[in-house]
Amino acid sequence: MIGFVGLSHLGIVSSVAAASRGFDVLAYDHNEATVGTLREGNLPFVEPGLRELLERNRERLRFTSRLDEIRQCALIFFSSDTPTNVDNESDLRHLNRSIEEAIPHVSEHCILVILSQVSPGFTRGVRERLQSQQPDRKSKVYCQVETLVIGDAVRRATHPERFIVGAADPCEGLGEVYRRFLESFPCPVLRMRYESAELTKIAINAFLVSSVSTTNMLAELSAEIDADWTEVAPALRLDRRIGPYAYLSPGLGIAGGNLERDLMAIRSMARRNGTDARLVDQWIELSRYHCDWVIRTIHLNVLPERSNPVIAIWGLPYKPNTDSTRNSPTLALLSTLRGFEVKLYDPVAVLPPAYASMATQCGSALETCDQADVLVIMTPWAEFGNADLKRVEEAMRGRIIIDPFGIFGGKNERGFGFSYFKLGAPPYPKSR
Amino acid sequence: MIRHHHTTREQPDRVVLLGAKGFIGRSLAEYFATAGTKMLAISSAEIDLLLDSAAGKLQRLFQPSDVLIFCSALTPDKGKDIRTFMKNLTMGEHVCAALSKSACSQVIYVSSDAVYGDDEALIRETTPCQPSSFHGLMHLARERMLQVTADAVRVPLMCVRPTAVYGVQDTHNSYGPNRFVRAACRGDQIGLFGAGEEQRDHLCIDDLVGLIGFCAMSRSSGTINAATGRSISFDELAKIVVSKAQRGAVAHSVRNGPITHRHFDVSALFKAFPEFRVTPLETGISNMLEKLMVSSGNPAIRAT
Repeated sequence: MIGFVGLSHLGIVSSVAAASRGFDVLAYDHNEATVGTLREGNLPFVEPGLRELLERNRERLRFTSRLDEIRQCALIFFSSDTPTNVDNESDLRHLNRSIEEAIPHVSEHCILVILSQVSPGFTRGVRERLQSQQPDRKSKVYCQVETLVIGDAVRRATHPERFIVGAADPCEGLGEVYRRFLESFPCPVLRMRYESAELTKIAINAFLVSSVSTTNMLAELSAEIDADWTEVAPALRLDRRIGPYAYLSPGLGIAGGNLERDLMAIRSMARRNGTDARLVDQWIELSRYHCDWVIRTIHLNVLPERSNPVIAIWGLPYKPNTDSTRNSPTLALLSTLRGFEVKLYDPVAVLPPAYASMATQCGSALETCDQADVLVIMTPWAEFGNADLKRVEEAMRGRIIIDPFGIFGGKNERGFGFSYFKLGAPPYPKSR
Repeated sequence: MIRHHHTTREQPDRVVLLGAKGFIGRSLAEYFATAGTKMLAISSAEIDLLLDSAAGKLQRLFQPSDVLIFCSALTPDKGKDIRTFMKNLTMGEHVCAALSKSACSQVIYVSSDAVYGDDEALIRETTPCQPSSFHGLMHLARERMLQVTADAVRVPLMCVRPTAVYGVQDTHNSYGPNRFVRAACRGDQIGLFGAGEEQRDHLCIDDLVGLIGFCAMSRSSGTINAATGRSISFDELAKIVVSKAQRGAVAHSVRNGPITHRHFDVSALFKAFPEFRVTPLETGISNMLEKLMVSSGNPAIRAT
């Protein structure tokens, strides 16, 4: 039996993925409501494919809010998502408490794996505490790097690119149960010391931020010099040193919380150790700048034509296929549109209570367009790209579309009269 | 980071304006007069901020509910040397001395984008200040002097850093819209340094005083750059002026200095003051031409 302690996004996806490989899984969370929801086959968040995977593997999955049940597990993952504060710094108190509460219920030989997002040094600290408190305990402690991508979490959990495992001594063999679990997935297993594994997680995100930042910087330049980034990006993808999966689509900065957390971790470690990480500050500043692209576009291109426009917004989460609004550019935009009439639609996400008064949430995309002067597409949901521009044009009073992600592609140029703004290309028509 | 100490707009009880006869000061005085705000407009004729007696006079004038707007300075056309720099600091010192003894409800300091280095490509409020002139250094020093004083007496301080400001009442005839529009009105050539490649952001005086008005009514504190977010080359600017005035011509010359550009990220301005509206440069130039035409009584000049 494999146990998962902590059932937020990471824990639920990971436990269901483990069950899908044929393992019997016990998934624990102290929150009875969460456990109840999962027992009924429902999910507390939106994640494509997860409900179906859960349904298919229910007989191997047991959800519980009784911590003593984890005694039957030979392998336990601590799998709660690490929360962050308003400054995007990790708060590991919850994970520490969770480990301390679980240990008395864990069998003597049980293998413990920290799957949660932790800072370098955390896992070694857990091992040392355990050894000093219970010197006779045989449990081995590992950390395993999670690379969950919200909206694509099921595919990545069931078909991981690789496993990154941190151990006290990477030359020592993995515990038998853990080895069998890892080998059930057809991917390489990279073993390394704790600190290396913990840094690997942060390094992956730093490289992603680097790509995002470089893309956004060049896309902005592209728009200024009358180039079109959508023409540039394919050439980069064919370069082996950059690659087909590189983050080459311009966006509104980094969001979601995980990348930001790891940037804070780098900054904090660099300060503590006296290394130069000013590049991180530049990334953060650049991200804020790109997040503000929409508000600048509204002020510089909409307000001179209509001083008090009705603004329609499509999309609320920071990316499609999720209802997560953590660090969402839409929320950031709403807080800068005080005094404007704003109508918003999203297929799944709901405005958090603190933002509810800042926009009217409509029941359909077209409803937001009624008498709107400008349409802003903040989340590139696929359904938005399929919208009937003719009906949008009929519903709107104004003729301006701000489409940072370019989901309408060349549609507008083919017979619609919108002034059109997207990232990485000059405004259309060019005369603006 | 801008903080608004009033959640809703409130007319200040009274505005005390230092530097009321300068370009920006005159326009501010008109703005607050039009808004019906009680105002005490002070120029160097009333209180010479260079004199030691200035601090005591100001101290006796300040009321706890006053909004103090400090836009008095010896501008670079009056001197770019150490002596002028020291005089400007002395003026700041006297204002701070008065404030420390008789605090008001808010201080708005009209600073300058000269606090930033000349070679900064894109400027935002977090851009490190590296003034290359005594003028810029003076503004930065005054900002710090006022901040220390304001913190000590717990008064919100708003530092507004305008970029090049244009308007009919400009007294400096600075290179840019002010000089170009006047030259065009006279039918003279607009002389550009080199081919006029340098890009600059030009702010209409009406926008600046409107922004300062918002700061006063919201009792804001922090630092904000006052710019439009759109920069154009002096060559493009000169051509707009000639086109709008339908007279004058553009003349290029041999360049002596290096080419520098200045662009602003005005996101913070738009976010802190959603109601702030930028006057498009073409509109601002046309308005300036119209006003000059009226004031000169020359019907031959007509802005298109």
